[in-house]
Amino acid sequence: MVARGLAAQSALVSVWLAFVTEVCLLALFGTAALCLYRIVIGPRAADRAIAFDTLSSVIVGMVCLLTILWESTLYFDAVWILTLVGFLGSAAIARYLARGRLFR
Amino acid sequence: MSDVAHVAQELLVAASMLIGTFFMIVTGVGLIRFPDVFCRMHAAGKAGTIGISLLILAPTLFFLDREPFVSVRGVLAIVFQALTTPGATYLLAHACYVRRYPLHDRTQLDELKEWLPTVSDEEFGRE
Repeated sequence: MVARGLAAQSALVSVWLAFVTEVCLLALFGTAALCLYRIVIGPRAADRAIAFDTLSSVIVGMVCLLTILWESTLYFDAVWILTLVGFLGSAAIARYLARGRLFR
Repeated sequence: MSDVAHVAQELLVAASMLIGTFFMIVTGVGLIRFPDVFCRMHAAGKAGTIGISLLILAPTLFFLDREPFVSVRGVLAIVFQALTTPGATYLLAHACYVRRYPLHDRTQLDELKEWLPTVSDEEFGRE
């Protein structure tokens, strides 16, 4: 079974919860593929920017699910750091698109 | 922690994971299917925010009894995400409108036309 493959061996997380987590993880991989497709075909820069914003959200979600699956809190700092960095990136891209430069 | 409470906790974790994943899938499908950039931002700004909030809520609930400080960080991450994602989407939409990104053919009403000055590509290069 896939559940025992990815999950930690000393299971605090029960088998069915690990299974649900893996199904959600696969679905998030599909969503990431959709975002990558929009990044490839996006007609102009803002389409790619918004798709990249969604892609960073999807990666944050994947980190959350892996945190549950591996019962490890090591990667949880990445969640809110990625949140802040993603916002800074989107704000910088929006400012660049509107004004043609970042700093006055 | 008693057995019933443990099962209830796992049920809550699974429910928030499943609902959050559903909203993220809706966001991805909206990004592909919607016709113009403002509609795509509508998908990414609303469904994406609620989806990622629920996905962060899942480990927050999961570690609630074992490592409470992790849960505090999870709540902080939810607050950050709920504050910043709509803000970033608004900034991008504002930039798109100012630079005259094309609206969809079937757009009925453009109320912003008389309020927000726009800049075409030729004027933009000159500065």
